[in-house]
Amino acid sequence: MIFSAFVENPFLQTALWASLLAALASGVVGSFVVVKRIAFIAGSIAHSVLGGMGFCLWLQRTYGILWLDPMIGAFAGSILSALLIGWIHLNYRQREDAVIAAVWSTGMAIGVIFLSLTPGTNVELMNFLFGNILWVTTRDLILLASLDVFLILATLLYYRKFLALCFDEEQALLQGVAVKRLYLFLLSLTAVSVVLLIQIIGTILVIALLTIPATLASLFTHRLHIMMGTAIALAALLSLLGLSAAYTLNWPPGATIALLAALAYLTALAIKKRFFKKRVALPINIED
Amino acid sequence: MISFDSVSFAYDGHPVLSEVNVEIFPGELIGIMGPNGGGKTTLLKLLMGFLLPREGSIKVFGAPPEKARLSIGYVPQVHRTDRDFPITVLELVLLGSLSKTSFFGSYPASVKEKALDLIEKLGLSEHKNKMFGSLSGGLAQRALLARALLSDPDILLLDEPTANIDPPSSLLIFDLLEEMKGKKTILIVTHDLRTIVERVTRVLCVQGQVTSFLPGHICEHFALGLYHTPLLDLPKNHLKKSPDDLFCIR
Repeated sequence: MIFSAFVENPFLQTALWASLLAALASGVVGSFVVVKRIAFIAGSIAHSVLGGMGFCLWLQRTYGILWLDPMIGAFAGSILSALLIGWIHLNYRQREDAVIAAVWSTGMAIGVIFLSLTPGTNVELMNFLFGNILWVTTRDLILLASLDVFLILATLLYYRKFLALCFDEEQALLQGVAVKRLYLFLLSLTAVSVVLLIQIIGTILVIALLTIPATLASLFTHRLHIMMGTAIALAALLSLLGLSAAYTLNWPPGATIALLAALAYLTALAIKKRFFKKRVALPINIED
Repeated sequence: MISFDSVSFAYDGHPVLSEVNVEIFPGELIGIMGPNGGGKTTLLKLLMGFLLPREGSIKVFGAPPEKARLSIGYVPQVHRTDRDFPITVLELVLLGSLSKTSFFGSYPASVKEKALDLIEKLGLSEHKNKMFGSLSGGLAQRALLARALLSDPDILLLDEPTANIDPPSSLLIFDLLEEMKGKKTILIVTHDLRTIVERVTRVLCVQGQVTSFLPGHICEHFALGLYHTPLLDLPKNHLKKSPDDLFCIR
């Protein structure tokens, strides 16, 4: 029944393609987010996107600037917040978490205010917040595919530098890597991925698709590129299963995918604990 | 040559090092000692250009530290590395020559060969494809040393390389350092008095300021039961040696 629905229903077909394209971004960038431990930063970028979206939608509806699509606002908002958060991380480490939380809520607040000022129905707000994969158009698919190509090329070219950056910034610096620039670039890639994923799962749940498949993959591999490949496959599988479950149960697709991902992670943890040996723990040393 | 000229450094207004004047000559094997929080690691980070002095200047081969980074190999404390990171021992060692990768990010064959040689020399051959985080402390420390040596740096900095590691690993590391004595400038942060007495040519005591001692004098200092007495608060003749013997640079 589900299979025939995917074959016959053009909305579901578009949704399926969108899921697969988003899985690429989720697996590649999500792996960097997980190993670099910047999930909180990614969450902040995801929520700040709402500011840009709300602003563009308000301009579009109030002043009739039709070309100003909310997606343009999403990209601008995500890149701006990524660079701002990156700058805070590089220059203001002492209170970094609190300041990033402030950026997070400020972005959302701007978005909510502009959306409330926007004339007409605000169905977009729900779509932005919780995602609506059936809302994806062919034009969005082309955009998703183009950005995937960019993400993959950037990762192929900078893979070893990203590896060094994520594992040991000091070593990367000693080897002549422009760590600050590369870090801001990584955050910008995260921002782009966030925008791609928001269409599938929404602002609030995007962090689930960005972190859970990669975290799940990390349980069973000790090489970053294998982790990325596994995470792509897992994100695609989880999106597909989530979409099918949502269609069958008439649940919201984004929330269903996020819930399924969390269940898969818990199951994997239990399997790993039961069947795999625990790693050697290091003794704690006294810090200088 | 490395020189610190009237260097002061503070974290958010809290002074850590003040008026540091030190010269380190090529080929020296220097032990860095001092209490926790005394500024030992800060001294190394200043030397690598990761931190900038509030006052004074640092020169490494006549250039600012950030311009001389490629001539420095650094072995951090093993517990400060991310043990959950998905990276194999070979991948980690290869990061020591990241600057030699091609445009597409691949390593030259000579670098891979050298990495494998170092891995073998440090007794890590059977672990080269294992996850770095799965190694014991001693093996992990050896892997970090291999990474630091891969680019054949002129200066090698080691931050407590023998803390919490097994004696065979410790011995292997020091035997390797002994081989390099006179060929590379080596600075080693350690609390291990035996290492200081037996291995190094000079000791820098770091405790807000930096004072240079001969290794034997440090031993005598500890023998007098002055471990908890700040070294810099003591009169310079407390070791009952002539001031010239103290080799004081401050």
